[in-house]
Amino acid sequence: MTDFVTVYVAELTRRIKSRPFIIGLVIGAIGIFAFIQLPSLLGGAFGGNKQAIVVGDSALTTPAVPLLKGDFTIAATLAPTTVDIALLKAHHASSAIVLSRVGDRLHVAIFARDPGSVPRGEVRADLLPLQVQLAMHGSKSAVTSLLAIPVAIHPIDSKFSSSSQAQAVRGIAYTLIFFLYMLILLNSQLVMSAVAEEKTSRIAELLVASVDPIALLTGKIFAAATLALLQMAIWVGVGLVASMGAAGGADASPIALGGLFSGNLLSAWVLCAFVLFFICGFLQLSTLFAGVASLVNRTEDLGSLSAPLVLPVVGAFFLAISALGDPDAPWVVAASFVPIFSPFVMFARIAVSNVPVWQVAISLALNIAALIGIGILGGKLYRVGMLLYGRAPKFSQIWSVIRS
Amino acid sequence: MLQVDRIAKDFGNVHAVREVSFSIPRGSTFGLLGPNGAGKTTTMRMILGILTPDAGTISWSGERIDGKSRRRFGYLPEERGLYGKMKVREQIAYFAQLHRLREPKLTPAVQGWMERLGLSEYADRPCAELSKGNQQKVQVACACVHEPEFLILDEPFSGLDPVNADTLLAVFNEMKRAGTTLVLSSHQMWQLESLCDRFCIIAGGVNRVEGSLTELRAAWPTRVLRVTPRSERLAHILDALPNTQPVPGAQSTLEYVVRADADYASILQSLVQADAVTGFEAVEPSLHEIYLHAIGEGAAA
Repeated sequence: MTDFVTVYVAELTRRIKSRPFIIGLVIGAIGIFAFIQLPSLLGGAFGGNKQAIVVGDSALTTPAVPLLKGDFTIAATLAPTTVDIALLKAHHASSAIVLSRVGDRLHVAIFARDPGSVPRGEVRADLLPLQVQLAMHGSKSAVTSLLAIPVAIHPIDSKFSSSSQAQAVRGIAYTLIFFLYMLILLNSQLVMSAVAEEKTSRIAELLVASVDPIALLTGKIFAAATLALLQMAIWVGVGLVASMGAAGGADASPIALGGLFSGNLLSAWVLCAFVLFFICGFLQLSTLFAGVASLVNRTEDLGSLSAPLVLPVVGAFFLAISALGDPDAPWVVAASFVPIFSPFVMFARIAVSNVPVWQVAISLALNIAALIGIGILGGKLYRVGMLLYGRAPKFSQIWSVIRS
Repeated sequence: MLQVDRIAKDFGNVHAVREVSFSIPRGSTFGLLGPNGAGKTTTMRMILGILTPDAGTISWSGERIDGKSRRRFGYLPEERGLYGKMKVREQIAYFAQLHRLREPKLTPAVQGWMERLGLSEYADRPCAELSKGNQQKVQVACACVHEPEFLILDEPFSGLDPVNADTLLAVFNEMKRAGTTLVLSSHQMWQLESLCDRFCIIAGGVNRVEGSLTELRAAWPTRVLRVTPRSERLAHILDALPNTQPVPGAQSTLEYVVRADADYASILQSLVQADAVTGFEAVEPSLHEIYLHAIGEGAAA
């Protein structure tokens, strides 16, 4: 245990001070911050100026303004006049919506600095009650109630109370699965590189003479897992701060992490599952990667040797993404019990559906059992592989090591 | 005492070590010699517990070697390696910690070994920036920083310039005086000859000879008799002796191979009666000669 702690602390200290970790952490944090802030920043700079003036008879503009307010900020309402750039500039508007009536039909002309930014369909939908009112000569309230068809959605065996909530959660789950995939793959590859470095720099023999190889391997892997969790915590923290800033600055911020918990979009159970399945997936993959890395004599060989291990993870990622749409499909349920796949697929199921606790427990138990098996296998490979120099071992030799 | 008893190790169809046995008294310095591929490194790895013997036993102070005893061992492998980006001080401290050295002993030990090996000025430089000789000294520091009671050095002098080799030789002599049990493997016989108390020559995975240099020499069947001046009368006497053979290529002296148990007193008497003798010496075999002879026997077998 002391060996493990020594290796763990040393690895943690070494890696936390390493340039790649710091650069990755900072770039990741900046990326997350920018990703969350971007919509409000872009909105202000490019497409967000939906300030408009409404021009026409007051009989038309008066009922039209409340209908347009959902999509435009109305800077002014003007009597019929000639629209030119000076008029737009005078009211700091990007467009002018000119309303006129020909018989019972409402005519709309929009003068815009950027015609491509005009939401034609939204304007049509906004003004539809006014068009109907003109055609039917009915009262505004009667027309509005006529057009408002009540559509009720009643969830059955769903963890969501509304379709918008379900959609939001799917979006969050997609993001989390992507995070899970990146964190597991990137950090496992870091462990692989570290093992290969020790092998190719020939320091391995000195290390295994000083400390038990299994303590060395587990110390290294757990240090990498800790750093990955730390990295994740920092990124989530940055995300929360950024989202709070974004929410405070612009009502229309599409991502508001601060409201995830209060909006029942992200539960502590989902977060707990995320951490648990991250740990399972990471430990499994990094142990396999470490075992494989111990067999290489040149770092250039890492890619070809690790490819067969990366492919199932990529497959698991896509399985999990499709599981978000149909979490109870038989093949999804089956995959959620298969180690290597289940950290992604079971997590996807947990995020978007009510998975029975016993299924989660079995999946975790299978993952732990697989981890023990992979640990024995990876440990054997590592123990022998670290001292194998010269020609790359043949598959038959690797197999005999595993069987021994 | 380290007791190695009939150990063997195979790698697939390759018999790396067939049957090797020797004992190393505590506090002694032991030279493990043999040609490339003789099984020296495999033997060392088995002693350290890096490899498990297929047969035979290894014990230290009468007990089987385990993780606890290994922490009191030090090892400098033949294949050199360091963490290139790690600073010298950190590297030595890491290996000290792996051997359970903690503060307040840790820092003085690291500092002390850097000073001892002339590494203090490089303490905060990454190891990759050091010369090969200095990197090797860092590795020696890593192997010794925890003051091991048993130290295995596989080719410690290879690739070193004479100054650095002398530095290491001085350090190993100091450790020897301090009571550390040392096992060395080297192809630089003269360095081993001056340092080691006992030797074991292995070839083809088996012991050829084992013992102190005195014992090995005593078992050597011949001596070279070196006589000066190189005169015809003296040569005539030596040619007439039974079981002698002139050494080809001798220039300024008369050199003859004689049996080790020859009667040197009567030979000297005969020579003195024949001519003026200014030099008479029965030259004992060097470790190099014993080594070549031992592995030659192995090859012949």
